[in-house]
Amino acid sequence: MNFKKAMAGILAAGTVLSLTACSSGNNSSTTSSTNSNSSTASNSSAADNSSTPAADNSTASGEALTLKVLTHRTDRIEDGSLAEMTKAFEEANNCKVEYQGFTDYANDVSTMMSTTDYGDVLMIPDTVKIKDLANFFEPLGTLDELKDTYYWADKKMYDNTVYGIAHLGSVAGGICYNKRIWKEAGITELPTSPEEFIADLKLIKDNTNAIPYYTNYADASWTLVQWASLVNSASGSSTYENDILTSKRDLFVKGDAYYEVYKMMFDVFSDPTLHEEDPMTTDWEGCKAAINEGKIATMVMGSWAVSQFQEAGDHPEDIGYMPAPFSKDGKQYAESAPDYCMGVNKNRSDDIKELGKKYITWFVGESGFAQKEGSICALKGSALPDYLTDFADCELFITEAAPEGLVGVWDAINNDSEVGTWQGDADNFKIKMAEAAFAGEGEDAFNKIVDDINQKWNTTRDANEDLAAYLEANG
Amino acid sequence: MRGARASLAGGWNYERNVFMAATSTSAKKRSLGQWLRGYTGQKYTTTLLFLLIPVVLLVLFTVIPAINMGIYSFQKRDQLGVSWEWVGFDNYVRIFTDTAYLQTFANSIYYLIGSFVQQAVALLIASVLCSKIKFAGFFKGVLFFPYMMNGVAVSLIFRRFFQKGDGITNTEGTLNSILMLFGADPVRWLGEPSLVNFCLVFASIWRYVGFDIIMYISAIQSISPDIYEAADLDGANAWQRFWYIVFPSIRPIVGLQLILAIKGAVSVFEIPYIITEGKNGTSTFVIKTIETAFKYQKVGLAAAMAIVLLAIILIVTGIQKAFFREDK
Repeated sequence: MNFKKAMAGILAAGTVLSLTACSSGNNSSTTSSTNSNSSTASNSSAADNSSTPAADNSTASGEALTLKVLTHRTDRIEDGSLAEMTKAFEEANNCKVEYQGFTDYANDVSTMMSTTDYGDVLMIPDTVKIKDLANFFEPLGTLDELKDTYYWADKKMYDNTVYGIAHLGSVAGGICYNKRIWKEAGITELPTSPEEFIADLKLIKDNTNAIPYYTNYADASWTLVQWASLVNSASGSSTYENDILTSKRDLFVKGDAYYEVYKMMFDVFSDPTLHEEDPMTTDWEGCKAAINEGKIATMVMGSWAVSQFQEAGDHPEDIGYMPAPFSKDGKQYAESAPDYCMGVNKNRSDDIKELGKKYITWFVGESGFAQKEGSICALKGSALPDYLTDFADCELFITEAAPEGLVGVWDAINNDSEVGTWQGDADNFKIKMAEAAFAGEGEDAFNKIVDDINQKWNTTRDANEDLAAYLEANG
Repeated sequence: MRGARASLAGGWNYERNVFMAATSTSAKKRSLGQWLRGYTGQKYTTTLLFLLIPVVLLVLFTVIPAINMGIYSFQKRDQLGVSWEWVGFDNYVRIFTDTAYLQTFANSIYYLIGSFVQQAVALLIASVLCSKIKFAGFFKGVLFFPYMMNGVAVSLIFRRFFQKGDGITNTEGTLNSILMLFGADPVRWLGEPSLVNFCLVFASIWRYVGFDIIMYISAIQSISPDIYEAADLDGANAWQRFWYIVFPSIRPIVGLQLILAIKGAVSVFEIPYIITEGKNGTSTFVIKTIETAFKYQKVGLAAAMAIVLLAIILIVTGIQKAFFREDK
């Protein structure tokens, strides 16, 4: 009996020991792998002043902080380029950076944010309302301090305090096209109006074997949303959505950006010869190679798609990116826009927060990530990427943030009314327009959808108290 | 129990009783240990320990979230739940007044009809598989396999199956290829609003029929072979054997399957969500719920929708219970 008890005790002790051994072994291996210089340095200092080993251990592990970064770029985690790039930062700051990637980033991280455990540095999901930023994120500085250094510093700003800096940016909207096919169709100049765009698609239909426009409609819940990113560019105004709110006009007005962009979509989708045979069974992964090879001529996509289309086949040089074919007073405009902004979790110790801020500064300004992705770097003064050559004649502008008092009002009306300018749910107006177009229902169907949306929007807008208060205060 | 009765008798009596109880437990402490080691004690502790894990998991992951959902349904709140407010029954009123929400139940009718077809097919295949045929195990495996398949794979399979090709980026899908062998013109199956729901119901039957077959097979195999033997001696043919022996014996299973079918039809989600994303008039109540919660950030309203769905299923189950109690 006693023997058994003794054995049990030894076993238990052994387990505990081996567990601690494991974890300490882990620690030492991570610190040494990230920064061998500093660990030898601390060892030698321990020998010098003969301090207790325990105390030395704690300072060593205190120095080598681990920074946990949540990111949506799972592709760059998998190919190892993110870790490779981060080594420079780890060495400079004697720390370890751990990346956690999410394929469904916005959804997963929004769920995590109902706890305090959502990484140390993260891409701020747009589900966090501007007003609530302070509940989740550490201030990075005031707008006055940051606006001369960074583009889009006001994207995640509330009350003059900035909570996030864009990790990269791009032109907001544009159209991916295959240069070779467009040239073979006999098109020499890029379209500057919807009529020209549709005429060009018809030329492609007549003169080449390619599908003029690929709708990607099977994945419409996000592919049709790409059209929404053309709207601000088409408006050519940096205060377009704010103006819609303050002037209390309809969302869809003939001649205005919302109407014209979706009318162009409707017209393209209405002509069965201009798009693929069966929109319900399109294949997003397959279309990347198809546009690269010239089987597909055109797709409305965010500029993030350009590099994916280039990488999908043997003809990266054929992929071009053109501005939205709308002009105002004979000039084309293109909105530039930030991608996810990076913020620091406010529920962390001060040294982690400091390190997090350093990391953001480094990632945005020095890492070269934006350049490698072919995007616009948020640090002012960086060069524009190559693929934007077609935008040379365009006026690039940045949409102004909503003024105090109007912050979040657009989103509130958009969600409450379920109009969903940026959504792609099954009842969304974009889907309804596409369905009507595919069924060949003609312009009347389009106008009916537009009227419905205007009515929904106006009812909800008139009930919005924040907007009423703002309008009262500002005449 | 005794304490409760004593408290009815009066305050003084109650207090004395509590005092007595307190002293008696300390006096009985040793006997509690003995009781634990005894047969009944062992029985209770074992039961308790075995139940503990599933009950804790159930409470943690089902009961608490479900209660929360009930509470949310009376709130206006978003996904992060930062600044919520009580709104009373507003969410429920909206569901029953705004036609956009309830009309999505219309598509359930397709699936309801489909589920009857599915039951018939499953019963037929199950009876065939229970007779003496070769490779019965193999066929069971093949028929059950779709049930275990990943949803993304199913969506890829059926987008391909129903595809109408353009000859440039893709070729004709499986179904059109077969039809064209017989000289028919290819059809845009998922694109035709009049066809698309039938296509989805077909996919749904394909996916779930295996599960029903397994249920029916197990029911049929539990019938004693003696009865068949007696029937054979009496000269019963296959149809008579099915109608007078098999069917009455598996009636409870048929009832259960029908209730599951109705429940499935009301809450159909996966097949339309993964194949068509609810586009082209294929949306359902659950898809609408998900979109309300996660695309429009109306978690309160979506919680109310979930409660409505729960209520409908409870009512249907209640009706079914009433029916089958009558049978017995």
